[in-house]
Amino acid sequence: MFEWLRNFSLGVWAIVVLAVVSSIFIFTRPEPSSNAHAFWLFARPHLQAYEPLIAKWNGEQPEMQIKPLLLSLPAMERRLFSGFMAGTPMADLFEITQIVTARLISGPVEDIGLRDLTDLLTSEGLSDTINPPSFSPWMLRGRIYGLPHDVHPVLLAYRSDLVEEAGIDVTEIETWEDFVRVMGPLKRLDGKSAEDRYLLNIWQTNTEVLQVLLLQAGGGFFDANLRPVLDSEVNAMVIATIATWCTGPNRIAIDAPELSASGNALKMRGQVVATIMPDWLAGVWKNDMPGLSGKLKLMPLPAWTKGGRRTSVMGGTMLGFNRDVPDKVFKQQWEFAKFLYRSPEIAAEMFRRSTIIPPDRNLWKLPVFDEADPYFSDQPVGRLFIEQAPNVPLRVSSPFFNAAIEHSGQALLRLVEYANANDVHTIEGLLPKSRELLDGAQQQLMRDMQRNVFMREDE
Amino acid sequence: MNKGRTPAMTPWIFLIPFLLTFAVFTLYPLTQSFVLSFQQTFGPRSTVPVGFENFRYLFTDPLFWIALKNTVIFTLCSLFVQLPLSLGLALLLNRPELKGRSLFRLIFFAPSLVGLVFVGMIFSLIFEKRTGLLNVALHAIAPAFPLEFPWLQNYVMPALVIAALWLYVGFNMIYFLAALQTVPDELVDAAGIDGAGPWDRFVHVTLPHILPVAGFVVLLSILGSLQLFELPFVLLGGSGPENRGLTLVMYLYNTGFVTGDLGYASAIGWVLALILAGVTIGQRALSRKGEE
Amino acid sequence: MKKSNTALLFLYPLLVFFSILTLVPFAWMICAAFKGNADFFNSLFLPQGDGFLGIAWHRLTFANFTKLFGELGMLRATMNSVFLASTTALLGTLGGAMGGYALAKFEFRGRKWMTRLVLAAMIIPGPLLMAPGYQMMYHLGLLDTYAGMLLPTIAPAFGIFLFRQSILNSVPMELIEAARIDGAGEVRIFATMVLPIIRPMIGAFLMITFLGTWNNFIGPQILFQSPEKFPLSVAINSLKGVYGQDYGMLMAGTLVSIAPILVLFLLLQKEFIAGLTAGSVKG
Repeated sequence: MFEWLRNFSLGVWAIVVLAVVSSIFIFTRPEPSSNAHAFWLFARPHLQAYEPLIAKWNGEQPEMQIKPLLLSLPAMERRLFSGFMAGTPMADLFEITQIVTARLISGPVEDIGLRDLTDLLTSEGLSDTINPPSFSPWMLRGRIYGLPHDVHPVLLAYRSDLVEEAGIDVTEIETWEDFVRVMGPLKRLDGKSAEDRYLLNIWQTNTEVLQVLLLQAGGGFFDANLRPVLDSEVNAMVIATIATWCTGPNRIAIDAPELSASGNALKMRGQVVATIMPDWLAGVWKNDMPGLSGKLKLMPLPAWTKGGRRTSVMGGTMLGFNRDVPDKVFKQQWEFAKFLYRSPEIAAEMFRRSTIIPPDRNLWKLPVFDEADPYFSDQPVGRLFIEQAPNVPLRVSSPFFNAAIEHSGQALLRLVEYANANDVHTIEGLLPKSRELLDGAQQQLMRDMQRNVFMREDE
Repeated sequence: MNKGRTPAMTPWIFLIPFLLTFAVFTLYPLTQSFVLSFQQTFGPRSTVPVGFENFRYLFTDPLFWIALKNTVIFTLCSLFVQLPLSLGLALLLNRPELKGRSLFRLIFFAPSLVGLVFVGMIFSLIFEKRTGLLNVALHAIAPAFPLEFPWLQNYVMPALVIAALWLYVGFNMIYFLAALQTVPDELVDAAGIDGAGPWDRFVHVTLPHILPVAGFVVLLSILGSLQLFELPFVLLGGSGPENRGLTLVMYLYNTGFVTGDLGYASAIGWVLALILAGVTIGQRALSRKGEE
Repeated sequence: MKKSNTALLFLYPLLVFFSILTLVPFAWMICAAFKGNADFFNSLFLPQGDGFLGIAWHRLTFANFTKLFGELGMLRATMNSVFLASTTALLGTLGGAMGGYALAKFEFRGRKWMTRLVLAAMIIPGPLLMAPGYQMMYHLGLLDTYAGMLLPTIAPAFGIFLFRQSILNSVPMELIEAARIDGAGEVRIFATMVLPIIRPMIGAFLMITFLGTWNNFIGPQILFQSPEKFPLSVAINSLKGVYGQDYGMLMAGTLVSIAPILVLFLLLQKEFIAGLTAGSVKG
């Protein structure tokens, strides 16, 4: 027998040993305890804020243990899908964003794996105390499928140190046109691309900011009846304007992606003057770029027209519940959800940690929102966001939300290419092409919608 | 006790693992995928028969055409950039008098041990605007080269080709090297004595000898390129802006596992399979013609 | 002879140049794995300072690795990868050798058709089977199980083809007949006589399968849903979503995933390359 073993080379035996060792490791390791309620999240700051309270909850409620798990959003989306559609292991509670929600509710109604919360929200009076626009992303066909976590109003953050040094008075800025003119002197194009400076962090590939600006202007993707309205005149104007920002002699835009180390390096070096900033992003900046402390200030977004809306909305999270969980267990989960989302301590803690304001209007009175924030040059940051919260635009959720973003994003990309190819760099010059491209995007979206047999049924 | 005779069942017993796994994990899914391609689904549970609708829609689907275009461009680049480079490196290394030959071979081959996912991870940072290694290096060498050069936004295909070059040049080089070893030195030397230049020697002596292997490598690299998925998926975290990095298999993955329409995904799969079959048959016909 | 010496003079710089191009991404990755985020942006390779060779050695850190294996539990993913790759390699090699032996050394009705079936199975594109395969794994209850990953790989058509070639070329029929006359059982003949003869192909195919499984991404990405079952390829890629700014850590994870393969390759290098090329020259 020993002779026989010598027939094979060292590498072969290495693989055999690996197989044995790893099998032992894998089959003897403890299975993760399964009686805890799995709570999936995608945002690290949320988890950090919740952790102490989850520990407290778990200590007080031994029969209802909560086990949080941090996942990247695409991974969570895939697993939710797999769980709802194919019965693979799944969470009981999960925080998800609008795009994920829109996809999860895109099948036949009986296949929607999320629990319908509409009646519960009405009977407990929550639909009155929560800021109304916060429900809109989680609604389909008049039903609400999630408990809103936030409002996410948007302000403009700017480098107050640079602005003051240049003697610029930001109170002169009311519209985007004013912004470009008043901030103009800060632009620095000295030919060395390592030291240049641009006014606004936005790029033609950034569909998230595109959506923010479309919504602010009163445009968007769908009307209240879920019919696509990509080809509106407002959308055409916004897209044409962004195109003039991103290219040509009047370029003011730089691509400094958020949540990216390379994008942050640009902000730290002062190559970005202003950024469109939802409340959550303010928290991210504080954590990731402490070096900018005291060099920033917030102001309402410049409007698209005089007297227009000075804010918008970006991102948004809801807490969803697994429909297959028995009612009795769900009751407990619901208590946990309210403990997490409605307690003043959490609201304050969440704000301190991540600068996110709660959607519950009763909580807006908390003193924490009036505290001066040294990061933003001692401005009362919470109050600034809360002042804009009621003005946040409504967002309609459609299963085709993702397709709509994609098609309008492509329209913007093509418009920038067109601007470069034909050397057209004025809004008026780009408007006809902008209308044409959005018209095409609208047609494409209609085609996508026509194809889905599951949605066709309930029309 | 059959002396010297094999029981008729023995070969089948040795083939049982293959027959079982083939039936369950290949044959059955294959027939299923045919059925699925005439259905629209929302995950594996909900299915609705839609007749030829999937195929009809496929040919008018702009995303399918974008995916096909990208895939074909990548395949052409593999053929006309990557393979010549591999062959060139193999020719450089195919000199017995060269010292450190095995070290160079090991170095060139090393990247192909790295999986596509990990290549995607490394290169997604190398291609970053302003901070990525590539732009910083190019900007340092030629200051006119913009630091902001948007590889992963506007030049997705060139970026993919560069990453694939790094990954595959050494791999194909191994095949060519093996083929070159079979070329008799006497033949090449004889041609040299006859006064043939290096190019003539290559075209008339070396190339005919390595043609069968070259044909195999070409086929392998076309088939592999047409099924490109992981590299752009990880490099771009998806299909990239304006779907500039969308490939056929990525589109299949997205429709099947992100949108949940396994039916449409199967239809895409069949179209891909037909293309692959066409390429294989074409290559065999060509190589048979070449042998005559 | 003289001519080739001058040619060599040009050859070396050229080869060295290509070698550098090939190695730079490796070097960059290794340096990045030992740097904190600040140094990642301030230095291309190693951070500059007043240490030996002008490099600030003290700023290099193992923090990325401790975080990977401590806080993020990458040991689990590493073990999963090792487990999947090694068992797949062993099972696949055994199944392949068995099938190849049957096709190479037995006369039986249907042999021709079986050989054709193996060849046909080799060219069915994987992506075609992705969607229905997922559906089937769901119906078999194999989603999110190791079995779902291992079972389909126990008798790969490509392996059967390679082993058939190798056994045809190197195992003499007389040897097998003689053993049968001596009364040896079929399994014994296979294990004690055939396998030792084809050991180069065994080494080669083990390495090919190990490498293929280790680097497989799309399969486990679709099949596995619980993170405790993720292999490294999926686990490292999912870090990108949550820890996207931690460049040093991402590169440390990539390094951890690549290093074992390089070591194993050095052990099985010869067989591996022979096995790779065996399919092409004879095929």
